[in-house]
Amino acid sequence: MRRHRLLNFLATVTAISMGLVTLIGLVSEPGTSSANLAGFLIRLVSVFAAVAVFIGVLNLIAVHMGRFVRSEHGWPYSLIVLVTAVAVIMVRILDHADIWPGDLKGEQISVRVFESVQVSLESALAALLVFFLVYAAYRLMRRRVTVWNVVFSAIVVIVLLGSIPLKKTDALADVRDWLIRVPVGAGARGLLIGVGLGTVTVGVRVLVGQDRSFRS
Amino acid sequence: MISDAGWTLIFLAIAFAATMAGRFIVRRFTAHFRPLRAYAVLPELAADAVEGNWRMHFSMGSSALGQPSTVSALVSAEIIYRLSERLAIGRQTPLITLSDPITLPLAQDTLRRAYGYRRNMAYYRSSAAAWYPQGPRSLAFAAGIASLSADAEADSNVLLGRFGYEMALIGESALRYDQRLIAHSDLVEGQAIAFAQADEMLLGEELYVGPAYMNGTALERGGVFALDVLRWLVILSILVVALQEAIGR
Repeated sequence: MRRHRLLNFLATVTAISMGLVTLIGLVSEPGTSSANLAGFLIRLVSVFAAVAVFIGVLNLIAVHMGRFVRSEHGWPYSLIVLVTAVAVIMVRILDHADIWPGDLKGEQISVRVFESVQVSLESALAALLVFFLVYAAYRLMRRRVTVWNVVFSAIVVIVLLGSIPLKKTDALADVRDWLIRVPVGAGARGLLIGVGLGTVTVGVRVLVGQDRSFRS
Repeated sequence: MISDAGWTLIFLAIAFAATMAGRFIVRRFTAHFRPLRAYAVLPELAADAVEGNWRMHFSMGSSALGQPSTVSALVSAEIIYRLSERLAIGRQTPLITLSDPITLPLAQDTLRRAYGYRRNMAYYRSSAAAWYPQGPRSLAFAAGIASLSADAEADSNVLLGRFGYEMALIGESALRYDQRLIAHSDLVEGQAIAFAQADEMLLGEELYVGPAYMNGTALERGGVFALDVLRWLVILSILVVALQEAIGR
């Protein structure tokens, strides 16, 4: 119990001092010792992040290797993950070695692979979103008709119709532009200000060492 | 003329003073908070999950330590802790998914602390916190966690933190598998989708008062008071500037 208290005390002191040092550094003039110290602490976090990614990838490979070796449920997917991971790493190494012959000379094949697989996949999924949202608006109205649900559904309809590139829908396109510029812009700012204020109040709690995430 | 750094310090000083004043007030007097439906439903969902031996799926999205979303990651972890404390008496370990590797230890530790608190470490699984390496705000991440949640037969999805359009995929999957969805995002796109798809949603700054609504300490409840003070200060500032502009014209 005493050991736990001591560890909690040390963790709290470390969190408060690091938080204050970083805060002072960030509001100081660039080039001063406090700003340099804050910069060093932030760079340290970047190094931790890089190490965390590396450990994460190793863990991912270990988990899927285990599933494949033990032939657990879904092992073919694990095999696909392993083969893909090894292939991507190999392509990246070959990119750096710059060994591609002919027309491919100087090309970054790993970037091409990323664009043709990941970007295409993401684009395909993004194309589905509009249907999900329209269906969500329909469900919203079916579940309960409130003023806000009606406003939401009406705006979805106006924005969708206003996006149709036809001459007769020019008026709707103007309404859509006004909606996006005025009420949507104001609402978005309001939400972001709210998030900012919430961040400040929680930040104060973290700075006074009352956050529980680093204590047992 | 006050510099940006000066404004930052002034704002922090006001927030600190208001938090301390709020802490004093909630200790001396009975404070009644505005009811937020999501915070009433979340403990009920946890209780149902324990009774029915179901799982709950929590996701922090792309909230990440060391990024501008650090605070939303910390608050989300705190809310997940309060709920995991309740779930830790059951046999089904809740799932936590995220897309940032440095936040993974926070998620694992949140579960470990909850199970440690209930002295039920036999049911703690560090693998219940899962990192999806697709990167922030990725649709592939959303598809992955929606599929995980369905495979694990989770009864409900609780999305807290940073989500964009990808939230629609998770919402759609929750609907298809008859899972409850409680959602929040600190991004406007995610917030709009949460409004349309979620059974209950948290709006903007409502995430940050979560710990205060769930057996919060005096300081956490004082934070709600501070948030109100800051909100009114911003409203008054906007009004003053608008009046000044109007009179100036």
